[in-house]
Amino acid sequence: MRKIFPPNELARDERFVRTKIEDRVFDPRNAAMMERDLGSAKLEPSRPAAADRARSLMHGIFVGEIQALEGAGRTCFDFDEDDAPFALKLDMARQCWDESRHVEISVKLGEWMGSEIGEFTESTFLYEAACADDPVLRLCGVNRALEGLAIDVFNAMKEFGDVAGDPVLEFCEDWMLADEVTHVKMGSDWLRRLTEKDPERRNRALEFQRTVDKIFSLGGFRGESDENPVHLARKFRRMAGFDEAEMDDLVEISKQAQADAEAMAAAAAEGGGAYGA
Amino acid sequence: MPAITVAPDPFTLVPYDASTIAQLTAEAAALVGFPDDVAVTLEVDEVLPHPLTGTFVAVGPEGLDIWMSGANFEDPKRPLKFQPELALSELVRALLRAADRLRPEFSGAPTDEDLTDRQRAAWDVWTEGRAHRLGVPATRPDRLLYHYRLHHGFNDVADEVFRRLWDADALTWPEIDEACAETDAADTRERPKKTALRKEQLRAPRPSA
Repeated sequence: MRKIFPPNELARDERFVRTKIEDRVFDPRNAAMMERDLGSAKLEPSRPAAADRARSLMHGIFVGEIQALEGAGRTCFDFDEDDAPFALKLDMARQCWDESRHVEISVKLGEWMGSEIGEFTESTFLYEAACADDPVLRLCGVNRALEGLAIDVFNAMKEFGDVAGDPVLEFCEDWMLADEVTHVKMGSDWLRRLTEKDPERRNRALEFQRTVDKIFSLGGFRGESDENPVHLARKFRRMAGFDEAEMDDLVEISKQAQADAEAMAAAAAEGGGAYGA
Repeated sequence: MPAITVAPDPFTLVPYDASTIAQLTAEAAALVGFPDDVAVTLEVDEVLPHPLTGTFVAVGPEGLDIWMSGANFEDPKRPLKFQPELALSELVRALLRAADRLRPEFSGAPTDEDLTDRQRAAWDVWTEGRAHRLGVPATRPDRLLYHYRLHHGFNDVADEVFRRLWDADALTWPEIDEACAETDAADTRERPKKTALRKEQLRAPRPSA
């Protein structure tokens, strides 16, 4: 069986439609959208299209869980015990079990919210971060960056359920959030252990994490201002091994990502409209 | 068939076609039985992407004005792609509510901009139930139920009112308002401090822009 399985060969049925992050970044509507005063972008039940936005985010969580399962599974298999100690593989196996449950919970939550598998697109960037050839990079890119984002997203959905009075959503997100804190902590612990005597490798891994964090800030998706739909869940990140400096850095990365996206949208707009006149 | 005008024409940000949308509007008008002597002006806001959907209708002496987010016509799986089936169902919903507004039983209804989220969600349930019975595709009670519960509460009283609204053949504005009062009385949640954005706000430029 081959190692480092390519993202384009992941098993999906006809319900799934792939999209690329660039499709969103270069959407010709972005520049005009940025000129609108849409107020707070935070996910709240009283905001416009709240149900659709929540369903879309729920579907994003669902496909993210599938890819997290696939990524953790590959890490169990792709490395020998010199690169990835047995105890690390055991942690990844436990994570597979968690992610499997999360997939099932997410499918049921989607149905509860009136959605279905494949209603929205899937981007495979999470899995792509799990294709790095160094297990420490995978732990930083997936467990610390993307599972860290999952902490922020689950916390946002949990708060949405709380404000909406939706007990099913609130409790399910809370349970999954607890697992995510564990997954991020696994990443933090193994990063420290595997790079204890190799600061250069640690720096390379943390730089990879910064890159993944920036891409997954999606032009302002996550941050700490009213313009960010998902806010940094500092309390839970602290529990998962993040220090304050790292979290402040993450807020800066998110601001940079937003500024970059605005600059790209402005540059695209200079070329005129995309269709018609 | 009513006179139908679609704007913008042409679209510049999304690959939508104004004449296709006008044809679908005519088809929706025929399905709903919308009166031929009321002119329809449809403005599609092509800036807003999925899932920022929204529809507002206003009936005046000049006819019917519909404002709709471009997201209402957009395939959720394929950004920018126009989805005719979805567009037809959105237009049927808008025209059903507009036709209600032409009836004297709805003379006391606030304008779309002034409806509370609770009132609008209740009216949407009745509209969607009728669209479903007309055989319009893309109408799903489970889908609307979640949107409705966000505004009416997650409890048995709200769910019972949902079923009543969905199944109703004919309602008046006071009956919809009474249904809202019924769910309001059973709703123990904290009221939101902010209200949802309205059309004019969705279109408003940033102060610095």
